[in-house]
Amino acid sequence: MALQDICNFQSVFEDRLTTEYPAVPHGKKIPSNYVSGLPFSNNKSLFHFYIPVAEYLDESPIQFGQISTVQNCSAVSSEDPFLTSSSLPTCLPFASSQSVPLPFPMAHGTTTLAFMFQGGVMAAADTRSSCSGLVACPASQKILPIHSHLVGLTSGTSADCALWKRILARELRLYQLRHGRRLSTSGAAKLLSHMLHPFKGTELCVAATLCGWDGGEQKNFVDSTNAKVSLAKDERFSFSQQCSIRKKMNLSGPRLFYVCSDGTRLRGMLFSVGSGSPYAYSILDQGVHWGLTVDEAKSIAREAVYRATYRDAYSGNCVDMYHITSKGWTRRNREDLKEEYYREKERRKHEKTERRDVAFSD
Amino acid sequence: MAIFDVSGYKKYCELREQILPAGLTHLVDRTNHYNFGTKTQEFAVPPGVDPSGFLKSCNHDGGVCIEMNHGTTTLAFKFKHGVIVAVDSRASAGNYLASKDANKVIEINSYLLGTMSGSAADCQHWERLLAKECRLYRLRNNHRISVAAASKLLSNMMLGYRGMGLSMGSMICGWDKQGPGLYYVDDNGTRLSGRMFSTGCGNSYAYGVVDSGYREDMTVEEAYELGRRGIAHATHRDAYSGGVVNMYHMQEDGWIKVCKEDVSELIHRYRKGMF
Repeated sequence: MALQDICNFQSVFEDRLTTEYPAVPHGKKIPSNYVSGLPFSNNKSLFHFYIPVAEYLDESPIQFGQISTVQNCSAVSSEDPFLTSSSLPTCLPFASSQSVPLPFPMAHGTTTLAFMFQGGVMAAADTRSSCSGLVACPASQKILPIHSHLVGLTSGTSADCALWKRILARELRLYQLRHGRRLSTSGAAKLLSHMLHPFKGTELCVAATLCGWDGGEQKNFVDSTNAKVSLAKDERFSFSQQCSIRKKMNLSGPRLFYVCSDGTRLRGMLFSVGSGSPYAYSILDQGVHWGLTVDEAKSIAREAVYRATYRDAYSGNCVDMYHITSKGWTRRNREDLKEEYYREKERRKHEKTERRDVAFSD
Repeated sequence: MAIFDVSGYKKYCELREQILPAGLTHLVDRTNHYNFGTKTQEFAVPPGVDPSGFLKSCNHDGGVCIEMNHGTTTLAFKFKHGVIVAVDSRASAGNYLASKDANKVIEINSYLLGTMSGSAADCQHWERLLAKECRLYRLRNNHRISVAAASKLLSNMMLGYRGMGLSMGSMICGWDKQGPGLYYVDDNGTRLSGRMFSTGCGNSYAYGVVDSGYREDMTVEEAYELGRRGIAHATHRDAYSGGVVNMYHMQEDGWIKVCKEDVSELIHRYRKGMF
């Protein structure tokens, strides 16, 4: 068709013809290819539209985003309007060192953090969804509850995280129905890690922190929680003593796991993920220890997210906080950090005027 | 004249000789920074060599990428009683620790300090050159150079070699007639004045701590503690920072060296509850 000639459309089915015709350089029009290459030749009815099928959809999803093999390369021309999106400049910061055709620009800007203490697990995250410089959503939710005693923090591609959280929630519910008890956090982390493993090496990017409280249906659960509460009221124990005490009630208690789509699965006491995580880590390192009260933990988590949003461009807007205890998770109201920023500005201005007054009075 | 010889003053015609291809006997390794390139191009690169082109050819896709990482943590902030400068002391060459006791603060004179992050060679060379220029300024003009002017000299040196692969992130701290001064100078030629800076790959960890604990009206001891904490927490999380914290306090009558403490001991002190 004339329109196809003008816009240099080259048939997606050209690769079937490479055996017959030699590979052509870009822009060179070969009318004979069009006539015989089109699945619907020109003499067919005008109402028969050619619906293009992007080539990458024919491939298995595992191949998506991988380096194309040599045969496919010659078929995909950069003038093909349907695949132009895959030839984005590879100077994007997230392109791997080999030129993998990215379907869209990806950005992983966030700050999420979670830590364990005597009162359970405290999880906090900012609410900014960014897409390479555009704030796509200033009020997104990065902490997704999975079930009553398990909460997941998401970092990476929002779409991937949301989908995998739902898949994980479904699997955990099925497990609960089949076995009559909740799967432990460790099991959930292992399940997620194994589900993500087939996608290793693709552009899937999920970095999830699972925070949960294990135990609950056992008889000894009540005793263990009481024992835990009484421990907290005592003087701060050294960590090794607490370890041995916790080993005795190994089955229940707070748990924190970090699962990443590249296969990492780590258990720990404190995690922070995202572009704002270095800023949050130093605040958390300063203040987090086992014997924190709930209020102290809340204020440290809030301060850490605030400092990260203060310095990191890809984190900001509001802060969400979840507290997971033996009774399940509780959500604190979303708080706008803009207020905190203005309060701090006022404080600094106040200090400055104070100082100037003092200087003048000297 | 003899005084010209001693102070290295070069007449314009002599300078021109050095730049023209014919004048190969006088390959410049000392540019005259008082003209700032207004009359002739004063970059000390031998003719025929093109560092920026070479770097561009390296950094394209598929080429060998030369990563310029500033593997260190340094921080400096202004407060009521002056300027606090704190640095770590780890020098790394890729994955190898070249030194655990490197000196990353150069004492330009008794009232000017410069920190170093990035390539150790670049930092040391250019900051020593800066020290030389500051001394010459003092001798020629009979008054001390201001912090703004010193940082401007360094920044112009960096601009002369922009794109040619220098790697330096430095903070010039001092006390002059305008009071305490703090400037951040970069290998790109960035020159920023501010209340607080932190450079190096551990800088984000230090920013969190110092932003959180900073108050304008801190006492001197609190400021020392904040500087120590910033470096200690950064070395705890960053692989390329470590060693000891070297801390200086810039006061009105000059700088004093406050302490040199091992970061592992500091971390043990700060995180007592976790160990």
